[in-house]
Amino acid sequence: MISLIRSEIYKISKQSKTLYALAAILIIEGFVIMSAYYQGAGIIDLLLDNLKDSFEFRGNLLNGNLIIYLILNSLWFHVPLILMIIISGFLTSEYKDKTIETVMLQPVNKLDFILSKYIVSIVFTLLIVLILAVSTFFISYWIFGYGDLVVYLDGLNFFKSDDAFYRLINAFLSGSITMIFFSVVSLTLAVILKDATKTWIVAAIFLICSNLLLKMDFNNDIVNELFFSKLTDSWQYFFYYEIPYSTIYFKNLLLLGYSIVVMIIGILIFKRRDIQ
Amino acid sequence: MKRFYFLLVLLASLNSINSQEIDSDLIIIKQRMDSIKSYEAQIKLDVDISFINMPSKYGKVKYRQGESTKVTSQDFIMLPKRGLDLTLNELFQHPFITVDRGEDTHKGVNCKVINLIPTSSKSDFSIATIFMDTKAKRIVKSEISTKMEGVFTTSLDYNNIVDVLPTAIEVEFAVNSIKIPLRFLGKETEVDRKAIKEEGSKSGKIFLTLSEVQIAR
Repeated sequence: MISLIRSEIYKISKQSKTLYALAAILIIEGFVIMSAYYQGAGIIDLLLDNLKDSFEFRGNLLNGNLIIYLILNSLWFHVPLILMIIISGFLTSEYKDKTIETVMLQPVNKLDFILSKYIVSIVFTLLIVLILAVSTFFISYWIFGYGDLVVYLDGLNFFKSDDAFYRLINAFLSGSITMIFFSVVSLTLAVILKDATKTWIVAAIFLICSNLLLKMDFNNDIVNELFFSKLTDSWQYFFYYEIPYSTIYFKNLLLLGYSIVVMIIGILIFKRRDIQ
Repeated sequence: MKRFYFLLVLLASLNSINSQEIDSDLIIIKQRMDSIKSYEAQIKLDVDISFINMPSKYGKVKYRQGESTKVTSQDFIMLPKRGLDLTLNELFQHPFITVDRGEDTHKGVNCKVINLIPTSSKSDFSIATIFMDTKAKRIVKSEISTKMEGVFTTSLDYNNIVDVLPTAIEVEFAVNSIKIPLRFLGKETEVDRKAIKEEGSKSGKIFLTLSEVQIAR
């Protein structure tokens, strides 16, 4: 099993698509920072426009914490989309190149093989989120400095710089669980569909639907609380003025449960299906 | 002869209107405030607006005679446009007349109430109502209707009967709700325009607490 995991890591490190994923993440980061640099002051002005009649403002809200928050919001769509495309490719490329047949001719257990794929996918996801977080914090604080964070969530919430840092770090940690879920789903889709293009399309549709369903009210408390799409926003809860920790823990644990179920489905399908 | 007396009375009354004096108690209070050459104090700011969540902010307030009051802080702070003019310089910047409105009580203190009506178009307020504690020679409440920024009601609390500067200031004002939440500034991005329209403006309050006040006369 460990040798399979090592082999998977070696394959990923040698594949150009890994570099593409990293490049895509950094490009998104660059775009957000550039737009914030040129338009940030206008955005803040627009947000505080209604308060200008009554208040004078002292201090700078266009700071590193706001930039990190803006980049963090790429966890809604951009980052999971990139992850789903890359991770599904871990398996679809094996089908396409027929390397999976070569592997299966070796004394390799199918369960160990697919399980190692899932484990490496999760590690890869965590690594990408870690690189995104570290580079975001470093670049944002370096260029824009420290300061209070303002977020519009149930009103205007202002957080002191050290509090904002704590919330942003935890949001990245919580967001990584959401990213793991999408990664596991994409690998399971790859198991089911085998073909790269079909998997990308279905994965993108899944992500779009998941985002749409998140905002949909099902008029049923149980569905609204337990349905998978309602669990993918736990990282945003760190920006409510009072952090609802129990809700965050509940959502993350349930989403991990969903991830395990999806993984088991993928493993069962892979085990039962002939490679040919 | 009757016509002459009538003319005399008319001229006398017109003269009294033209030379309407500023309330003597207000002048006494202003002179007392003018005796302050400068002051410094630590300031704590708390905001009470329904759609704003903000922790207490801390800063330093500095005033030097002839200059406007300055507040500095390491944090982002929101200061009310009115309420920090403790020396009444902003009110006295342009000429005005005062009208005695009798007496009223504010927080158990018997106050003399006057209206300030500016006589210059340059003034940025249209009318101000001032509650004066004439015994302690200080202002305890003011309602200033500005031309551009709405009405600001300021309530001032003092530590004791002799203090010239307040230790707690409460500023109340009308404020509009946020209208344009931005797509990337949060997950709840729907704009309920109807609700916002119905809500109109709300009253907001800001509480300023002064401590370690150092006055130079």
